[in-house]
Amino acid sequence: MVHALHEANRVLKQGGVLIDLRPAPVHRRVGIEVHGDFRLVAKMNEKFDEDYAADRAVVEVINEGILKPQSRLRFDCKRVMGSQKDFHLWMDEFAFIAGLPSQESLIQKVELAYKSTFGRKRIVVRAPLILRVLQKI
Amino acid sequence: MTIRIDPEENEIWALRQSVEDWRNKRVLEIGCGDGRLTVRLARLGANILAIDPSAESIRVARSKKPARFTDQIRYSVGTAEQLKSKAESFDIVAFAWSL
Repeated sequence: MVHALHEANRVLKQGGVLIDLRPAPVHRRVGIEVHGDFRLVAKMNEKFDEDYAADRAVVEVINEGILKPQSRLRFDCKRVMGSQKDFHLWMDEFAFIAGLPSQESLIQKVELAYKSTFGRKRIVVRAPLILRVLQKI
Repeated sequence: MTIRIDPEENEIWALRQSVEDWRNKRVLEIGCGDGRLTVRLARLGANILAIDPSAESIRVARSKKPARFTDQIRYSVGTAEQLKSKAESFDIVAFAWSL
C-alpha cells in the first residue's frame, strides 16, 4: 500500500491532490427500506485488517513529508437491491472477495424480513464512506 | 443482478466538496471497476485515465462508456503498484475504494 501511494505521488503534479475514497471501518447495516423508511435487520461482520493497514500506509507517507492532509469527509452511502435474489448474489460475491465465512444466517434473516414487509420495499446496505484529500508537497 | 450503488450520488457531492473545479483536470482513477465513478467524474468535466487490475472489469467499463465521453475517459488494465504513466502527469490521483 505504501508503494502504491509512492507511485501515485510520483505521477502527481506538484501541488496536485491524492484522493483516498473508501468505506469507513464500520460494520455495514442491512435493512429493508419501505417508502424511504429504513428498518435495520442486521449488521454485517466484516474484518477491517486491510482498512487499518491502508490507514497506516497513509500515515506513513504523511510522516515521510511527501503528502500533507488537506481535508476529510465522512458521509453515508447505500447499495440498493430490488430483490432477494440480488441481495443473495451480492452477499455471496462480497463474502468471497472479503474472505468471509458463509453469511447464510444473515441472508435468511434479511429474506424473512423482506417477505414479511409489505408495500414498496427494497433491500438496502448502508455504510459510511470516508474521503480523504492529501496534497503533494 | 440489479444493484444501485449510491443512488443519492453522495460520492459526487463529497468529491465536489473536496475539489472545487474538476473541469479539464487530468485524473488518474485507480481501481475503477466497471466505471461507475469514472462516468460521474467525467460528468464533472475531468479527463480520466481509469485503471483496474481486472481485465474483465475493464471490458465491462468500456462497454458501458457513454459515447459522449469517448474523448474524456480512457480505460486500461493496470495496478497502482506499477503505473505506466510519466512522472508529474496528473492533477488528481483518486484511489476509488482501492487503497
